[in-house]
Amino acid sequence: MNARELIARRVAKEFEDGQLVNLGFGMPTQASNYLPEGVSLMFHGENGVVGVGPKPTASQACADMTNAGSEPVTLVNGAAIMDLATSLGAMRSGLLDVTVLGALEVDQQGNVANWAAKRSGKWWPGMGGAMELCYGTEKVIVCLMQADKKGNSKILKKCSLPLTGKKCVKIIVTDKAVYEVGDNQLILKEHAPGVTLEEITNLTDADFTVAADFHEMQV
Amino acid sequence: MSKLGNKVMSMDDALKCIPQTGATILMGGFVGASEPTCCINWLIEHNISNIKLITNEPGMNGFGRAMLYKNKLVREIISSHVGTTEESTAEYLDGNLKIEQYYPMGTLIEKIRAGAMGLGGVLVPVGVGILDEDGLFELDEPKQVINVGGMDCFVEAAIRAPISIIKAWRADEIGNLEFRYTGLNCNATYAMAGDYTIAEVEEIVPVGTIPPERVGCAAPFINAVVQGLSIEEHDELYRQHWLKIGKLQQED
Repeated sequence: MNARELIARRVAKEFEDGQLVNLGFGMPTQASNYLPEGVSLMFHGENGVVGVGPKPTASQACADMTNAGSEPVTLVNGAAIMDLATSLGAMRSGLLDVTVLGALEVDQQGNVANWAAKRSGKWWPGMGGAMELCYGTEKVIVCLMQADKKGNSKILKKCSLPLTGKKCVKIIVTDKAVYEVGDNQLILKEHAPGVTLEEITNLTDADFTVAADFHEMQV
Repeated sequence: MSKLGNKVMSMDDALKCIPQTGATILMGGFVGASEPTCCINWLIEHNISNIKLITNEPGMNGFGRAMLYKNKLVREIISSHVGTTEESTAEYLDGNLKIEQYYPMGTLIEKIRAGAMGLGGVLVPVGVGILDEDGLFELDEPKQVINVGGMDCFVEAAIRAPISIIKAWRADEIGNLEFRYTGLNCNATYAMAGDYTIAEVEEIVPVGTIPPERVGCAAPFINAVVQGLSIEEHDELYRQHWLKIGKLQQED
């Protein structure tokens, strides 16, 4: 199992029956492939839909039935369309139970940065609807690789990039570990299969404690 | 023209009011979906340049409005994002496309909704303490924050524009619009925030065809109705694009 699949499978374990969930692009979206048995969710698309369904066949595809990444989707039974102002307003006002986002950095206060890095001296590319998700959602799950390609931890004491949300992250899932966000420190809950505590410690810049029930990720 | 007269006209008649250079245009659509494809092509064919484009995000790679950036017709965007197309990213990094500040998507749509609804602006708590950090954006005036009912909010001014170009599924002859599925997105809000609004539609039907409760944007907000691609052509355009970029698989 590759790292991205591991993360997606572990994120999916966080979902509970009947929740309204928003999935960001990449690994978060993949989590929809691994829903636990008996868990039925509605997925929200920020372009204005509750009840995003699976990809259609080519002949079924409809130009006006898309997700927030402008990919063709279907709508599930019970789906509802809304305009963009309502969709973003629902995100702000707390209608979503869970949001899963990718990130560039996350820190021990539960801050997350995912919308801007410097390119040619300019901030790029923009936040889209990610700030509303962080602002309004009860349970924000961040998933990312533990470290960058040079081996620098992305699990920081303090984010250095412009934030997407302040003190909003509840759970961090990486290719090495699962953390909960505690009181200005992380709580290390799980390790990926075959990953040692020492390895995680070396790849964690943030302050953390090890949970009493620290155990291997079940995926 | 009367707000309730027949508004069906040719693309040329509908769009000729757009200045050759320096137009400010609201444009509906969401990451390239349900955008006014034929009007975009008209802007390119007529080399309408130096555009200030108010757009939810820049669009979709290699498609539709992305060709406006590729043809260097846009000087500035007001948006939540600059990176949804490679064409807008290239123009931005080359210094040809300005974006003064990024607005969270929900803030931007509320600013435009406020413009549509005759408000001076809106109070938005999202991003306070983040987007007003010193040095993040180079603004003429700092972002104003006020506390209302215990909540710190940005004071965000309303946005309207002289021209709005949007896309709907179908219109009747006086400009009542009906939208199809997620094609609604920001199209109705953007339509109502334009001083002169052009609706590109797949189908034009007689008055009375669209049930009143299915009207997604009422006729008095609309100034021109133009025939775009048919529904079959529209679906096929996107189907072929999605097949090309691997978002759909060819069937046997």
